[in-house]
Amino acid sequence: MDNEFGAAFGHLLADRCTPDVVRQVERGDSAQALWRDLVESGFVDALVPEARDGAGLSLHQVLPLVQACGYHALPLPFAETMAVRAALAHAGRGWPDGPLSLDAIGDALQAEDRSALHAALTTAQIAGAAERVLEMSIAHAQQRTQFGKAIGSFQAVQHQLSVMAEQACAARMAAQLSFASATHLPDRTLAAMGKNVAGEAAAVIAAGSHAVHGAIGITAEFDLQLYTRRLLAWRVQAGSPSHWAMQVARQWWRGTHRRAIDFTLERLGAAQF
Amino acid sequence: MFDSLSLTRIPAEDEALRAPVRAFLDDALKGVPPEVRARSWSGFDADFSRALGQRGWIGLTLPKEFGGGGRSLYARFVLVEELLRAGAPVAAHWFADRQSAPHILKFGTPQQAQFYLPRICRGEAFFCIGMSEPGSGSDLASVRTRAARNDQGWRLDGQKIWTTNAHRSHYMIALVRTSGAAGSRQKGLSQVIVDLSLPGITIRPITDLTGDAHFCEVFFDGVQLSEDALIGAEGDGWNQVTSELAYERSGPERIYSSVVLLDEWLAHLRTQREPSERSLALAGRVLSSLAVLRSLSVSVNGRLAEGHSPVIEAALVKDLGTTLEQFIPEAIADALGDDPDATLPEGLSRTLQYVSQIAPAFSLRGGTREVLRGMIARGLGLR
Repeated sequence: MDNEFGAAFGHLLADRCTPDVVRQVERGDSAQALWRDLVESGFVDALVPEARDGAGLSLHQVLPLVQACGYHALPLPFAETMAVRAALAHAGRGWPDGPLSLDAIGDALQAEDRSALHAALTTAQIAGAAERVLEMSIAHAQQRTQFGKAIGSFQAVQHQLSVMAEQACAARMAAQLSFASATHLPDRTLAAMGKNVAGEAAAVIAAGSHAVHGAIGITAEFDLQLYTRRLLAWRVQAGSPSHWAMQVARQWWRGTHRRAIDFTLERLGAAQF
Repeated sequence: MFDSLSLTRIPAEDEALRAPVRAFLDDALKGVPPEVRARSWSGFDADFSRALGQRGWIGLTLPKEFGGGGRSLYARFVLVEELLRAGAPVAAHWFADRQSAPHILKFGTPQQAQFYLPRICRGEAFFCIGMSEPGSGSDLASVRTRAARNDQGWRLDGQKIWTTNAHRSHYMIALVRTSGAAGSRQKGLSQVIVDLSLPGITIRPITDLTGDAHFCEVFFDGVQLSEDALIGAEGDGWNQVTSELAYERSGPERIYSSVVLLDEWLAHLRTQREPSERSLALAGRVLSSLAVLRSLSVSVNGRLAEGHSPVIEAALVKDLGTTLEQFIPEAIADALGDDPDATLPEGLSRTLQYVSQIAPAFSLRGGTREVLRGMIARGLGLR
C-alpha cells in the first residue's frame, strides 16, 4: 500500500511540516511558504487526469499521501485541494490557485459523492494520525519510568496500547477500503463503512494515548495534542460514526440480501485496488 | 506498524468455490432452526462432515496425494466463510481440518501423513486438541501430562481438560512433557498423537452453561503409545504448538461466531414497516465493522498463504473479532428490549439466548483476550 509517492511526500512533510510549523500556522502565522512547497512538489495534481497535466493517479494510489497529511497534522487542506482539483478537472472546469475546501466543488459532483469523498479523506487522515499517536504512546511507555521500571512493562498499560494498536489497524484498513477505487471518487458504501469504523477508532486511540502519557500529554507544549485534537475533530468531521452507520443501514435496507455477510461481501466486491 | 495487514484480494478461481458450496448448504441446512445453526463450529454432525468430505471439502489445502484438494488457503477461506455464514455443523472435522492435518503435514513423517490425512479428508478421522490441563490454562508451558519412553514407545500419564469434542473424536494431538519437570517450562515439551480408543483413557464430557456438552476432561492412566506416536521432534513441542496456534487464531471463525444471530435480527427488522433509528444505526455499525474485520481476516489469511507465520497479526485480528462477536448479542438484546411489550419470534429469542450465554467463551477459546493483548504488546516492543 505504501508507495514511492507516499514516501517522497512523507519526507517532504517531515521536513517542512514540523510540529513548530503546525503551531505557527495554528497561531495565525502565514502558511504561504508551506503551501508553496507543497504545490512545487507537484503532488497536488496527483488525481488530475494526464490530459489536464495531472498525474492521473487513482484514489487507491494517493492514499499514502492523505495518510501522511494526518500523520504530520498538516494544517492546510492539501488533500481536499487535490480532490477538488480532480473533481473540477473531470467536470471540464478550471480552479483558482491556493488551498481549496470541498465547497469549491460546487455542483461538479453529486451531493452523495461529495460527502463520500469528504468522509474518505477524513478517514485516511484519521488513519495517519492514529499511527503517529500510537508510535508516540509506545515510545513514551518505553521511556517513562515509575516504580523503578518503564511503565510499558505494566500489564494495564500494555493492554491499553494493544487496544490502541488494534484500533489503529482497523482505522488503517477502513482507510484502504475508503480509497479502494480506480477513479478519483470512492465507492459510497465503502466510504460510509470506513468513516464509521475510523471515527469510532479515533476516540479510543485519542483517549488511550492520553491515559498512557499522563499529565504531560495534556500540555500545549507537548506534541501529542497536535494529533489528538485532530483525531477528535475528524471523528465528527464529514459526519459522525452514527451518521455513517445510518447511511450504511439505509443501503442495506434498500437491498434484498438474505444474510448480513451477503451485503458485506457484495459491497467489498466493489473495492478496486 | 502491522503494515503487512493490507487489503488483499481473493483470487477469482478461489472465489468461484463460493457458489457450489452455497448451493450445497442451502439444501443441506433447509429447515434447521437458527438456534441450532448458531452453534456453528460448535455444532457436531458426523454425517454432515462425511458429506462435506465426499465433496472434497475437508482438507482442501492438503496435497492431492494425501486425499486433499491441493487448493490454496484462499479457497479454504471462502469455504469456511460460507460454512460459518450458513451456521453449518462443522465441529466434527473442524479441528482436524483447521490445524491437526496441516500440522501432521508440516511436522509428521511421510508415514504419519499417509496414515492420517486421507481419513481426515474423507471425514472419517476426527481430532481434538489436547493443550489445557487443570493447572495449565493460559500458562500452557506448565503442562504436567508426561510421556515417558519405554521399550514399546511411550507411556502416557496425566490429564487434559476443556478438550473440545474429545468424547466424539478418534485422535488427540496432545502437548506433553517428555523430559524435565513442570518448572522446566518450554523445554522438554513434545507433541504426541493419541488414539483415543486405547486402554487407560477415560473421557468425561463437561456440561456448559447452555446445557451443551462439547468440552471434556480426559484422563491418561498408563496409556501405551507406540514409537510413532511422537509428532515432530522430541523437545520441540513448544515451537510446534506456537505454529499451530497461528492457524487456530487466524480464521474467519473469530469474526463470525454471532453472525447467525445477526442474520435473524436483521430478518426481524425487515418484517417491520419502519425500524427504529437506533436499530438501524446499530445495524449499520455492525455491518461496517464486519466489512473492516473481514478485510483484516483475509489479509492475515494472505500472510499465511505467502508462507509467513503472522502470530501477532492473528492475535490482533482475533481480539478485534471476538470483541465484535460479543458486542453483537449485547447490543441486539438492548435494541430488542427497546419495546418491553413486543413479542419476539421464537427462533430469534432462542438464538439470542444461546449466543448471549455462550459469548464469554469467544474471548477465552483459542487464547484468552488478556493473553492475546500481552502478545500484541510484545509485538509492539513492550516488555
